[in-house]
Amino acid sequence: STGDSWGIFTFLCAALCNLPALPALNCSEELGAGQSIQQTYDLTRYLEHQLRTLAGTYLNYLGPPFNEPDFNPPRLARAERVPSATVDLDLWRGLTDNARLAANYRAYSRLLCYLRVLDGQVGTAELRHRLAHFCASLQGLVLSIGGVMSSLGYPLPAGPAGPPAPPGAPAAPNDFLKKMDDFWLLKELQTWLWRSAKDFNRLKKKVPPAVVTLRLEARGF
Amino acid sequence: VSPAADPAVISPQDPTLLIGSSLVATCTVSPDFPLKAEDLYWTLNGRRLPAASYATLGPSTLSVALARLNGSRQQSGDNLVCHSRDGGILAGSCLYVGLPPEKPVNITCWSKNMKDLTCKWAPGTEGETFLHTNYTLKYKRRWYGQDNTCQEYHTAGTYSCHIPKDLALFTPYEIWVEASNRLGVAVSDVVMLDILDVVTTDPPSDVHVSRVGDLEDQLSVRWSSPPALKDFLFQAKYQIQYRVEDSSEWKVVDDVGNQTSCRLAGLRPGTVYFVQVRCNPFSIYGSKKAGIWSDWSNPTAASTPRSERAAGGCDPKGGEQNTTLRRELKQFFGWVKKHAYGCSNLGIKLYDQWRVWLQKSHKTRNQV
Repeated sequence: STGDSWGIFTFLCAALCNLPALPALNCSEELGAGQSIQQTYDLTRYLEHQLRTLAGTYLNYLGPPFNEPDFNPPRLARAERVPSATVDLDLWRGLTDNARLAANYRAYSRLLCYLRVLDGQVGTAELRHRLAHFCASLQGLVLSIGGVMSSLGYPLPAGPAGPPAPPGAPAAPNDFLKKMDDFWLLKELQTWLWRSAKDFNRLKKKVPPAVVTLRLEARGF
Repeated sequence: VSPAADPAVISPQDPTLLIGSSLVATCTVSPDFPLKAEDLYWTLNGRRLPAASYATLGPSTLSVALARLNGSRQQSGDNLVCHSRDGGILAGSCLYVGLPPEKPVNITCWSKNMKDLTCKWAPGTEGETFLHTNYTLKYKRRWYGQDNTCQEYHTAGTYSCHIPKDLALFTPYEIWVEASNRLGVAVSDVVMLDILDVVTTDPPSDVHVSRVGDLEDQLSVRWSSPPALKDFLFQAKYQIQYRVEDSSEWKVVDDVGNQTSCRLAGLRPGTVYFVQVRCNPFSIYGSKKAGIWSDWSNPTAASTPRSERAAGGCDPKGGEQNTTLRRELKQFFGWVKKHAYGCSNLGIKLYDQWRVWLQKSHKTRNQV
C-alpha cells in the first residue's frame, strides 16, 4: 500500500507540476509536505481572488437583490446539500490534521460538482468561460489537497460523489429558488476558501518543511 | 429548524411575458406560517413596489399589479419577491419580459480548403430581445438529405458556427439559421451555395522580399502557392499589398495573376517596406468563379538600397527624382502600348529592357 500512495503522490505531483506522469518523473524539486502545504495555501488565496471576479459577474447576472452587498436570504432546506464551512471554533481547533484535510477535500470535491452543473446551464458566454476557468483551478486545489494528504500518509476520503446529490437529484423546483441555490453555492465557496487559508496556515506550523521530505527520482514507470 | 414546506407560494411562477404587458401576481403564505396578508410586501429587482398596487385577496394572500412591463433587466429574469414585514424573503418568481426573436440575416459562409464550412450571421434588427436567444444553424443538401444541425458555435465570433466534415462537393446546400427564445422562433431566409463557390485558402507561404540588384526603386517579391490546394485543380489569383514602414496606408497590386513572383517598382530608395500577399483560389475545378480571398500573409520586410551618389541629397532632389520617374513611366506606358501586346506578365521585363535602353540613350545624350 506504500506503493499505492507513491503512485498516487507521483500522479498528483505530476498534475501539480504539469508534467506527463509517465515515464520518468523529472520532478527534481523535493516536495516536502511542508512545501505542498504552502502551495495549497497559495492556491486557496489565488482562488479566493478569482472567485471575487467570478461571483461579481455571476451575481450581476442574477440581478438585484442577489448582487446587493447586504443580501442575506434564508438558507432553505435544499441548500443544506452544500457542505458548510462554518464550524464551532473549539471544534475547529481540535481537529486532527487528517480530519482537517479530509473536510477540505470533501467540501471542494462537492463544490466542484455543483459548479460544473452550473456551467452547463444558460448564462452569457463570458460567464461560462469564467466558470470553466474557475472549475479548472478548483480541480487543481482538490488535487493539491489530495497530494498533501498522501504525503502525510493519510488515505483520501471516499469518492466525492459520496452521499446524495448526483446532478439528477432534487434540483430547485423553480427559477427563483435556483437563483438562491446559486447564491449560496458562491457564498459557501467564499467561506470555504477563507477558512482553508486558516486551515493550511495551521497545518504549516505543525508540519515543518524539513521533517518529511520525499525525493522523487526517475522510477522507471 | 428549517421547515419542510416553502414559507409562501407565488403565482404565476416564472412566467414569460411580452414587453408592455401587465401582470397580477399573488403571494400566498403557507398555513404553517403565522403571517397575514398585511405583514407582506413586494419588491421587483430589489426595489419596493408601492402599496397602492397591492390588493388583499384573502387572509394570507396579497397580490400586486404590474402594468406595462419593460424588457427584463437581466436575461436571468426580473426578480419579483414576496417579503415578510421584517424584510425576510418568503418566495420569489422570475419574470421573463421581452420580445420574440427576429429573423437572423446576412448569412455568409466560407470553406477552408474545401474541407469544412464556417458560417456567420447577424441577429435581426438591433437584436435586443431581453431574453436569452438560442441560435441553431441548419443545413441540408438540396433535393435530398435530411436536415443537419451545426454543433460547433462561436468559432468566428458570437454568431458563427463551424461544420468540420461530411460535406459534399458539386452539390448545392441549403443553409439557414433558427433563432429561438421563450417567446418564439424566427427562421432566416435560406441561403443556397455550393462549397466550391466559397472556398478560401491559407495565405501564401514562404513570402520572400529581396532587392533587385542595385535598383533603388524596386523590390522583388516571391512566394509559394498555399500547399493545401496543391492536389486540387484551380488557378490562384494573388494580390500584394505593401506600405512604407512608418505609414499605415497600404498600396495594393491587383493584377498579379497566377505567378508566384512579382516586382514592385516606383519605390522610394533607402526605405523599409512591409509586404503582404494573399491568395484567391480562382476557378476551382473549372468553375470560373472567384473564391474568397485568404487572409494576408504575415508582413515581410525589406529595404530598398540607397544609392551612394544621393549622399548630399535632400528633399527637393527627391521630389525631382519622383517627377522625373513619373514622366519616364508615362513615356514607358506609351511605348508599351505600341510595342507590347498587353501582357502584364512581360511588363516588368520590358520595363527593365526599356530602362537599360533609356540609360544607354541618356549616356549618349550626356556625352554629346
